[in-house]
Amino acid sequence: MENVIELQNVNKAFKGFELKDMSISVKKGFVTGFIGGNGVGKSTTIKLIMNLLQPDSGEISLFGLNYKKHEKEIKQRIGFVFDHNVFYEHITLAEMKKIIKPAYKNWDDTIFYQYVNLFELPLKKPIKTFSKGMMMKASLAFALSHRAELIIMDEPTSGLDPIFRRELLDILHDLMEDEEKTIFFSTHITTDLDRIADYITFIHNGQHIFTKEHYKIEEDYAIVKGETNLLDRDTEQEFLGIRKSNHGFEALTTNKKRTANLFGDTVILEKPTLEDIMLYTKKGNDNYAKSYS
Amino acid sequence: MLNLIRKDIVLQKNTLVILLPALLIALLIDRSIIWVGVLFSFAIIMQSFALDEKPSTNLLMNSLPYTRKEIVSSKYIGACVFTFIILLTIVVGNIIIHREITQLDQLLFIAGVIVVFISFAFPFSYLFKSQYLMIACGVLFVLYLVLVNKFIPDLNDRLRAGVQTILSFDNSVLYAGGILAVVLLYMFSWMLSIRIYSRKVF
Repeated sequence: MENVIELQNVNKAFKGFELKDMSISVKKGFVTGFIGGNGVGKSTTIKLIMNLLQPDSGEISLFGLNYKKHEKEIKQRIGFVFDHNVFYEHITLAEMKKIIKPAYKNWDDTIFYQYVNLFELPLKKPIKTFSKGMMMKASLAFALSHRAELIIMDEPTSGLDPIFRRELLDILHDLMEDEEKTIFFSTHITTDLDRIADYITFIHNGQHIFTKEHYKIEEDYAIVKGETNLLDRDTEQEFLGIRKSNHGFEALTTNKKRTANLFGDTVILEKPTLEDIMLYTKKGNDNYAKSYS
Repeated sequence: MLNLIRKDIVLQKNTLVILLPALLIALLIDRSIIWVGVLFSFAIIMQSFALDEKPSTNLLMNSLPYTRKEIVSSKYIGACVFTFIILLTIVVGNIIIHREITQLDQLLFIAGVIVVFISFAFPFSYLFKSQYLMIACGVLFVLYLVLVNKFIPDLNDRLRAGVQTILSFDNSVLYAGGILAVVLLYMFSWMLSIRIYSRKVF
């Protein structure tokens, strides 16, 4: 399967924050959800992918091309949506279109007006009067009007009401009918991903934890609930993170089968949500850090 | 890159609509076009620069299929275009109002001053922010005052005399030398700005 985005051993350090040896690949023709808590490096990774930042070391390629030689060619094929407004605020949507349109070879006015009508966007009002939802719709209209093969979105659903979030996900879903298109988007509203994501890429503290097919996660991971007396030094090793209470323990396993064999009927295995996985990974990492520091 | 320059002019459309008639009025009451020309050109060039300074706008420009080199270059070429528009207005205004042709050396002098200004202002603004330019100018002004008061009391007269001398030069070799020096300064500033901008983090 072809990769549209490929990061190989990418490192990027800032004051107090670091992306470490990040290797990610995003498959062509699928929706990949990019998850992780606040400040773990999602936006930095997206900026690296869009060449808004340069890595300290490592390779980044899009469509098999690198930015050093093919910057404009790559950007022609990307549609982007940011979580905040990046357009000039004092001008209208129609004027903004006049600025963006000549930048793209494949710009199509018909598609643009189609989305403007669909989203009921006013062409003649200054962009600063737009609500958060309208702003997002405007971004999306721009991102989709130049036949981009790859749509990159940084937290597109944050701050949106549930109804528009659904609408947005439906639009993305329709978009994926075209098998040539790829969507990569970051979010921390993990329920969004249940609806459309084919793959999940999870990062934590600047490190890539996993990229898996969405359905595979349920096959591998499980929430384990049982009596606290089942836990000892050995069995605790089975889990990524453990939460103990008076009623017993709850933990996350990355190997559902082995845990089932080990504990048998003494524990209950449940389907984890992505949020569970994020939470326990953070817990596990923190404990790991504590015990080794 | 032409798109970027066109974008700057379109965005400054309203400013031009106000600025150009104001320029004509200035011509009507005062004939010292050098000061007016320099001030108006600098105002519009820096206004256009400041508009693109927000991190969000930088994010947009760099996400569109433009390179950082093109983004910086468009500002340098755009500055020439704006200066040209102002100079053209002065020439046309002088023909209409005073029925006289503006002297070429005056126009060249205005252009020269703008180029020198921009050569310092752009790299400074890319490195810091254009809003700090005023502070920098304030500091420079104080230095200038100190200079005038303590060391060279007749600095103003000397400058004025200097400007007159330059304008009265008849020697075309000297002229060419001056133009070449200014152009080289502009080129150097251009390259410097590209270097600064390509390392910027938004």
